[in-house]
Amino acid sequence: MITAERKPIDEIRAMVAPYKRVLVLGCGSCVAECAAGGEKETGMLSSTLRMANKMEGKDVLIEEKTLDRQCVKDFVILLDDIVDQYDAVLSLGCGAGVQAVAEMFSEIPVLPALNTEFLGETRDQGYWVENCLGCGDCMLDDFGGVCPLARCSKQLFNGPCGGSREGKCEVNPEIPCAWQAIIDRLDRFGSLDRLEQIYPPKDWSRKQGGGPRKIMREDQRR
Amino acid sequence: MESRISQDTREQADKKPRISQGGKRTLALFYCQNTPESGEAVRQALEKKYASSLRLFPIPCSGRLDPLHLLKALEEFADAAYVIACPEGACRYFEGNLRATKRVDMTARTIAQIGLEKERVGIVANSKENPKPLAKLAEEILGRVSEIRPSPVLERPKTGKGTKEKKDDHSRKKTH
Amino acid sequence: MKDVSRLKRVLDQGGFAVTAECGPPKGADAEAILKKAELLRSTVDAVNVTDNQTAIVRMSSLAACSLLKSAGLDPVLQVVVRDRNRIALQSDILGASALGIRNILCLSGDHQSFGNQPQAVGVFDLDSIQFVQVARTMRDKGTILGGEALTKAPELFIGAAANPFGDPFAFRVVRLAKKVAAGAEFIQTQCIYNLDRFEKWMAMSRDRGLTEKTCILGGVTPLKSAGMARYMKKKVAGMDVPDEVIRRMESVPAKKQAEEGLKICVETIQRLKEIPGVRGVHIMAIEWEDKVAEIAEKAGLLPRPVISKQ
Repeated sequence: MITAERKPIDEIRAMVAPYKRVLVLGCGSCVAECAAGGEKETGMLSSTLRMANKMEGKDVLIEEKTLDRQCVKDFVILLDDIVDQYDAVLSLGCGAGVQAVAEMFSEIPVLPALNTEFLGETRDQGYWVENCLGCGDCMLDDFGGVCPLARCSKQLFNGPCGGSREGKCEVNPEIPCAWQAIIDRLDRFGSLDRLEQIYPPKDWSRKQGGGPRKIMREDQRR
Repeated sequence: MESRISQDTREQADKKPRISQGGKRTLALFYCQNTPESGEAVRQALEKKYASSLRLFPIPCSGRLDPLHLLKALEEFADAAYVIACPEGACRYFEGNLRATKRVDMTARTIAQIGLEKERVGIVANSKENPKPLAKLAEEILGRVSEIRPSPVLERPKTGKGTKEKKDDHSRKKTH
Repeated sequence: MKDVSRLKRVLDQGGFAVTAECGPPKGADAEAILKKAELLRSTVDAVNVTDNQTAIVRMSSLAACSLLKSAGLDPVLQVVVRDRNRIALQSDILGASALGIRNILCLSGDHQSFGNQPQAVGVFDLDSIQFVQVARTMRDKGTILGGEALTKAPELFIGAAANPFGDPFAFRVVRLAKKVAAGAEFIQTQCIYNLDRFEKWMAMSRDRGLTEKTCILGGVTPLKSAGMARYMKKKVAGMDVPDEVIRRMESVPAKKQAEEGLKICVETIQRLKEIPGVRGVHIMAIEWEDKVAEIAEKAGLLPRPVISKQ
């Protein structure tokens, strides 16, 4: 899933300040899962913004709506009938959602209420960790299911570095050393000898070699 | 439940409310239904006694409280919004009161970001040794919030032309 | 001085090599690095120049090495993969060789969050082992990554760093083996205070035949105070400072601690000389370069050998 966190209220208020009729738009997918932009959070943010405006005597219309997903055209199009009533959309979608809405309704400013962060897992309730960089060339089978790109602070392929201490990373002792995890994992599978081979340099062109990426599947298209 | 209402509670309910000088404050009070002597009759009696200074919302467990409830209350009619929870370790659903505390903390931090005093929200855990009935707790919390300045969010009648407070939308809000 | 690696010559002739570290200035001041270098002339075989160590912006290692080269010293160009992609790294190798720099030390580098530019992106296009391999291929095959031929191959003595004290301990020797397999001809280790643990690591390295294939130089850093010892133990990742060393430093009055630290350093070097497979010492006297000559003298490392013209 994609994780995000809400921007500080001050920053959001500064962004919406020029507008008088704002649609606060939530998303029921990833950002709801990480309690940043779902229906509840959309309600909370709207209420907070309305209170702040009342305190300053500002007369601003703030209304809410939550889509199942903001990144899929079929859902975004549901706004077609109502978007003209507003002069800005404050989106609680991830960056993909914000842009999908902006793409469809290009005449209205679509503002990001969240800071989109990483691709990750819900390790435990209320606790999310980054584990994928979307490199386009997955090598998890070579590393026992632990990604040295996303989970090693220095993206080493032939780690660990000298700063690994008691299974923790030198950058922050709360971060587990990915290479300790890789070694432990491969050891458990009995394939530690794989790490004796020098892993070759990464082909980064699969991530950024052609500019922003796309996928076209003719079998899926109309 | 009614037959078990103590003499004490009736006396509390009949006493004159102490409202601070300088105008009305409205308290929205969300209370766990496992609070002693908190049945419907008591609730009605308290709302009658305190008139528009107190609005009571029963919830099946304080853990059912959502920050949104507190925010909506503050947005629409309340100068303060509080939660009554069961004592630590005594929650019927084990952790509801702990979760409620975290949510209230989060709400306090949110309202502080727009310049509202953190004290406008709070949570009061009933005493383990001497659990108090709803009426007593309500009185104590009203006392606690009596000095808070009138909420700058709510419009007050200046010329007596009437307020914008919505009637009844939230006075019977069911949250379970 | 001819464009040869003096360090390589000393090692080829079977000598016990001595190298020291030199940090470039936090400014465009050429004099600063030359002054430091003068303290080391005739004391060491080669001078390492650090590369934005601890992710703090300093004069570039390549430029500083070039200044040292012009002053007649044998610099070791330290290069971290944190700040440059493969294009820049390969380019710098060519540039270094063209400037007559003959030694390179390939490192990962401290994470950017430690320094004074924590908002910078960390490049990490290649890791240090891949970088060693690239350097060796450029030198021996005359090609860059991807196989395209160079007009002239660089001439370099290639080294890497090793940390006998990092975790996991058992894997450290595998990592050393990989560096050697990639092409590391000399290794400089993290500074040593725990000689027992170092000896274990050396034994494991010998068992694996690594000491035949690469020249290991043991790193030493003189302690200036008990406070420094405690700091290094607690705050510096990958460092092993045994409690007895700290107690020894604490046992002398503050004014005498620097002297004690130098003593410990000299003793460490003397012990290193006795360990089979240790081919030299790398003295990292951070901001204390003026003591290197004294340490070398007391440890019996001077005078440095005369290099035969071959």
